[in-house]
Amino acid sequence: MRIRTVALLLTLFGMLIVFNFAHAQNAPEASEKGKEVYENSCAHCHGTEGRGDGSAAENLLPKPRDFTRGLYKIRSTGTGELPTDQDLFDIITEGMPGSSMPPWDTALSANDRWEVVAYIKTFYDGFKEAETSPKQINLSGKVAYSEQSVETGKALYTELGCVECHGNIGRGDGTSAPDLTDEWGFQSWPANLTQGWNFRGGSDTEDIFKRFIGGLAGSAMPAFEGDSFPGFGLTAEESSRMIELDNKDEMTEAEEEESAQLYEKYDAAVDIALNLAEGTELSAEEQQIYDDAMRVVYEKSWHLANYVKSLMPEKRPEPAIGNNVLRSQYIQDELPPMDDAAWGTLEARYFPLVGQIVIEPRQFNPTIDAVNVKSFYNDTEVAFLFTWDDRTHTTDETDEETGKTLEDALAVQFPVKVPQGPTAPKPYFLWGGRLPVYLWHWKASAPEQVTELTAKGINNAEAQAAQGELHVQSTYTNGQYTLWVKRALKTEDKKDLQLEPGVFVPIAFSAWDGANGDVDTKRVMTSWYTFVLEPVPSSKRFIYPPLIALLSVGFLFGLRAFVQRRNSEEI
Amino acid sequence: MKKLSLFTICLIILVGSWVFLRFVVGGIISVPIPGSVIAMYMGLIIIAILVHISVEDSLFQEFRRPILETLVEDKRRNHRRVLVVLIPLLLLGYTYSIIAQRANPPGSPRDAHPSPPLELTYKDEVIGTMQDVVNPFRHYEKDDPEAFSAHVENGKRVYHQNCFYCHGDHLDGQGHFAPYLQPLPANFQDPGIIPNFQESFFFWRIAKGGPGLPAAGTPWDSAMPIWENTLTQDEIWDVILFLSHYTGYQFRTFGEAH
Ligand code: HEC
Ligand code: HEC
Ligand code: HEC
Repeated sequence: MRIRTVALLLTLFGMLIVFNFAHAQNAPEASEKGKEVYENSCAHCHGTEGRGDGSAAENLLPKPRDFTRGLYKIRSTGTGELPTDQDLFDIITEGMPGSSMPPWDTALSANDRWEVVAYIKTFYDGFKEAETSPKQINLSGKVAYSEQSVETGKALYTELGCVECHGNIGRGDGTSAPDLTDEWGFQSWPANLTQGWNFRGGSDTEDIFKRFIGGLAGSAMPAFEGDSFPGFGLTAEESSRMIELDNKDEMTEAEEEESAQLYEKYDAAVDIALNLAEGTELSAEEQQIYDDAMRVVYEKSWHLANYVKSLMPEKRPEPAIGNNVLRSQYIQDELPPMDDAAWGTLEARYFPLVGQIVIEPRQFNPTIDAVNVKSFYNDTEVAFLFTWDDRTHTTDETDEETGKTLEDALAVQFPVKVPQGPTAPKPYFLWGGRLPVYLWHWKASAPEQVTELTAKGINNAEAQAAQGELHVQSTYTNGQYTLWVKRALKTEDKKDLQLEPGVFVPIAFSAWDGANGDVDTKRVMTSWYTFVLEPVPSSKRFIYPPLIALLSVGFLFGLRAFVQRRNSEEI
Repeated sequence: MKKLSLFTICLIILVGSWVFLRFVVGGIISVPIPGSVIAMYMGLIIIAILVHISVEDSLFQEFRRPILETLVEDKRRNHRRVLVVLIPLLLLGYTYSIIAQRANPPGSPRDAHPSPPLELTYKDEVIGTMQDVVNPFRHYEKDDPEAFSAHVENGKRVYHQNCFYCHGDHLDGQGHFAPYLQPLPANFQDPGIIPNFQESFFFWRIAKGGPGLPAAGTPWDSAMPIWENTLTQDEIWDVILFLSHYTGYQFRTFGEAH
């Protein structure tokens, strides 16, 4: 009897496990040879001849890599070196986030990936001619993450000129950001260092370190070779002293002397590095100076990597899908203005944006990652805080092709009427259709103003007759827009959305980066998400639970009394 | 060692199964099981236990003995004290967590494959009835392999200039724009898709896109574009050839069971 029960249970578990695994598995792909794999899976982007000119390439930026020049961004090898086979295998396996280069981990077997590595190497003769295997970067001196290290890295970030491209705090908004092009002359936006999930080569500290030491060959990002480090050949203390002296308006005689000595040491080390680069044999003493200098450079690069790591959240935020909806929090008082500390107490909801490729003209290469949203409401009003990163502050530029005015903008979309029930029709997610949507349209050229629109289609939007119901504040700092909008929950205007606590309201976004050519339908967008004025938690929660606990105590005592009485009766 | 009482064994089985389902299968083997499925399995196990103990009177007596003992006997006084505090506390916590839970948005039910219209059209031009229209280039597969390849190749170009952003390089619905669209783009590598539909159905879906769906398919949510505005009829038929050629799945032909 007992055995039978156990057997029954075991069968149930067995069924459960088999059922779940049958879903999780994928059959391995049949193995084909390199050329075949390449022509099937890669040629439409990278071109049959490996020139990066496949049929899909026209619409893409960054462009698919041209394999004929042997320039690879993601390597474990030093500046100017070719990648190792393992590097190529890994990048094919993992893909390049933030670009259209997909991961092939599930679509191609490991065997096929090795075959295709061998094949793409045939496009560049340098691989055949290379006599020695490429020199790999030594990772052994890793400096552990610490506040101290981050501080040191931060100073280097300015000293090395990262700021000019990547901006003050890394949002890719440096002054030269809009003008960068890669080896092939294509626009090349500096990475937004606060979004590690879009790094081509991964955002582990080791990955970032390798990118500095080895450079991203072919890109606009320079390689930071040893002697480009300020104070090359000096110890950390010496180099900060050198900078300190440089920054003085007036030096004493002793300080002049000290500075001259430091420069002498620096120049000597740079000379040695140049000689080495030209192939000159170094004396033992020179080699020693060079090795010491490089040790300092490596250490500094680890600090820099730690600093970059400190700029980004640990992982990409979860999108506001499912139950993770945008909840506006109730407060009794006046709603906080844009720069109020109260906003810091809320956790933002993350709405990732994708290129609008549903309606012509399309945006295939978005530059805005996401919009983050927070919200408070009180008895009469609701306030939203929108933030999004944009490398450039564009208010009035002319598109060369179309002559249209380009500028940065954001639109927040609601239905005019909230659909009643889960199956009720919503307006079309892209600015409505048969059913209209209600929009807040903000533009960088009029930063204190939001226009209310009613739209029945992406090309069919109209400014409402009644404006001025919205209170607006906005700023652009360090590559990030912040927009604050406040409105009454209920308005007189029939074309406005009316808000009520506890009602789930569809919400969607569009954004434009003028510097990326975004205008009209060419933009980034989301599909429908959900927003709710979170009701104040019911006070029932303080009544029923204690009541139930009390009842259970009563029940237990009652049961005991019952059993006792019965026992005594039996006796 | 003291022999475990029947009640303890049942308790161990019950708690053990829950831990196994929730943490071993769901955590270590990492096949997360939805709460409702766990509840179903736990229900089955409780029924199995009840059946087991109620088969013979002696088993039932044995099962309830420790319960009765704990309720009244002096030697169990300490157990009793602990339980009279623990049980109400657990109930308190549980009811609080249920009442204080935030309301979540209702899921929107969606029929991913609602019935198509009877007539297949391109823009406003009628092509034929949904049942009868076939891919005009399909016959090349047998008649003229070279022409067939050219059409597949053209379909591949169309796909990689227009579709892979959403449907993925591998046609698996995992394009680089895909993860943030709701509903997700279709996965053509799913064996339940291509073999279940005629090519005319795909022509309809591609030509009319998300907005062309009937209400059951929630046309307002789908990011699937209307391709008749951008692609020619031939291009649509070619991309359909490419979809089945690349995945290796055959479209259903009229007359086969749905
Ligand atoms: C949808 C287009 C697309 C397809 C398909 C594609 N790639 Fe790429 N690939 C790219 C793009 C775009 C880049 C450049 C990304 C960048 O520079 O940031 C790239 C870069 C690369 C690189 C350079 C990595 C580096 O370190 O610089 C390699 C190697 C590569 N691809 C191999 C492949 C192979 C092999 C296949 C086929 C199995 C393939 N790609 C398929 C778009 C594609
Ligand atoms: C001349 C402009 C320029 C300077 C100076 C510059 N970068 Fe970059 N950086 C770029 C560009 C452009 C990219 C994007 C490269 C690509 O993928 O095409 C980039 C990419 C990166 C990445 C991402 C790598 C990846 O895997 O995608 C990191 C990290 C980075 N830079 C850090 C730095 C740091 C730290 C410094 C200073 C030591 C620095 N950069 C200096 C232009 C620059
Ligand atoms: C903007 C993203 C996007 C693009 C681009 C796109 N699709 Fe789709 N597609 C979707 C989504 C989302 C769905 C699922 C929702 C639906 O059924 O409408 C879908 C569904 C489909 C279906 C229906 C499959 C089924 O199971 O019934 C077909 C067929 C299809 N797409 C073909 C294509 C083709 C061919 C192209 C290129 C010409 C393309 N799609 C381009 C997003 C896209």
